[in-house]
Amino acid sequence: MAAVSAELRFGQVSFSYGTVPALRDVSFALAPGERAALLGRNGAGKSTLLRLVTGLLHPAAGKVSVGDWDTRGRAPESLARRVGSVFQHADQQLFARSLRDDVAFGPRALGLAAAEVARRVDGALAALELSAHAAEHPYDLPPAFRKLAALAGAFALEPAVLVLDEPTAGLDRPLRARVARALSERAAAGVVVLVATHDLAFAAEVLERGLVLDRGRLAWDAPLAALLTSSERLTPLGLAPPVGAALSAALDLPGRPVRERDVAHTLARVAAARGRV
Amino acid sequence: MARLTLERVSFWYPATERPALRDASLAVAPGEVVALVGNVGAGASTLLLVAADLAPRVVGGMIKGTVDFRGRGNGEGGRGIVLPTPWTQLSGMAFTVRDEVAFGPANLGWPRERIAGAVDRALDALGIGALAARDPATLSGGELQRVVIAGIVAMEPALVLLDEPTAELDPEGAGLVWRLVRALAGDGCSVVVATSDLNALPEVAHRIVWMEDGAVRRIGDPALLAENALCEAGLATTVADVWRTARLGAPYPLTVAQAEERWRQ
Repeated sequence: MAAVSAELRFGQVSFSYGTVPALRDVSFALAPGERAALLGRNGAGKSTLLRLVTGLLHPAAGKVSVGDWDTRGRAPESLARRVGSVFQHADQQLFARSLRDDVAFGPRALGLAAAEVARRVDGALAALELSAHAAEHPYDLPPAFRKLAALAGAFALEPAVLVLDEPTAGLDRPLRARVARALSERAAAGVVVLVATHDLAFAAEVLERGLVLDRGRLAWDAPLAALLTSSERLTPLGLAPPVGAALSAALDLPGRPVRERDVAHTLARVAAARGRV
Repeated sequence: MARLTLERVSFWYPATERPALRDASLAVAPGEVVALVGNVGAGASTLLLVAADLAPRVVGGMIKGTVDFRGRGNGEGGRGIVLPTPWTQLSGMAFTVRDEVAFGPANLGWPRERIAGAVDRALDALGIGALAARDPATLSGGELQRVVIAGIVAMEPALVLLDEPTAELDPEGAGLVWRLVRALAGDGCSVVVATSDLNALPEVAHRIVWMEDGAVRRIGDPALLAENALCEAGLATTVADVWRTARLGAPYPLTVAQAEERWRQ
């Protein structure tokens, strides 16, 4: 699923929009197959960080690298061989006459042979259960489906690194589950997955590591579960525990599960032990 | 007397054969918060466009049935909509957030002091006072969403229509928006909100409208969000869903607080 695997590395990266600083001295590395959540308040620098990965922006200081490639001096279209991205308003970024053509745009631009393009497009559409809509015009579909199509377009690049900005905003639960499944498959195949999101319930389901930005600085870099079970850690960072975690804390469930399914199982077990089913 | 009444409204987008809204009826009273819940394609966004008089007037298409709004045309005492695409709603005429939020009220011809007061209150309600001097073009997605909401409420509309207003907001921002919704209703404003933030609704909405495939399927109080049918449709609150999955008895609690109370009994 990834043509090559590569590490994503930020080394002491800073960036400003004119005089407004957006990122300060950010360092971290994500290994192939790692699944990380990029969290923080509105305006903390999440989208800026993702744009630095895609080469749409370049650091004012420090270095961003994807495997042995320094993003500096590489245009986004060159980086697209290794980085697939979906932006916040992805439903607006489709332009072809059919979903299939839209998803095929990236692999075609990479200069791949027609058979390879077709293989990748079929795989990407299938991964998000969009095959039945392949021939439809993107703007005949609801925005949520266009968002999935933009994600399929990123999958079709078979990148080493996937960066996604709020991939679940505007999606209902069945569509969120599709995205969760597809991202887990990609990570299992060695793709670095980095997701900026406010949807901590989704993050808890799919992602393992938590990177939290606070006013442009990396304030937290550790396993997500350790963060999501601690209101003391979340609150100063402008975050709130997902409802599953809040419920298991309120009911004092053993092991403090965070994922909704785990909360339900623990709840059932404890209730049975208390003899109240 | 209802402020907004939809009576058996169907709507077709241009060049489509299937209606996006089918025979929908709904009445919203002054001071009432009505939440539209449904899966993708259910018709909630379309209902808001119809209620805002943007469909078919602006987007084209065909409508059947009647839409009755008791208020003025636009702005003050009228209706305002916040689209799920806030960046498309900037005026493009302002170089600061303050001027952007003032754009609507200024166009209503209000005196300067009244505009300033309304803008201050709106910035404060959305927690974006610190952004007042920023160029809207430099804002993040979530900051922009707050600015657009502020611009609408600054005009003091009688009916506020919100489409996924918290989709891009952090918990603080989402909390402020839901508090603002309650405050607007407290002042007699009617609010209709389409949202997938189901967990916020028990404390925000007076009534829940469950939409499916373009039609209004059920209307009820927030307890609807804990019913089996909603759980099956993926439209229950997380707590209700967890309770049901754990096979603990119905009626399921809606919120963490209700669950806690039930657990102690």
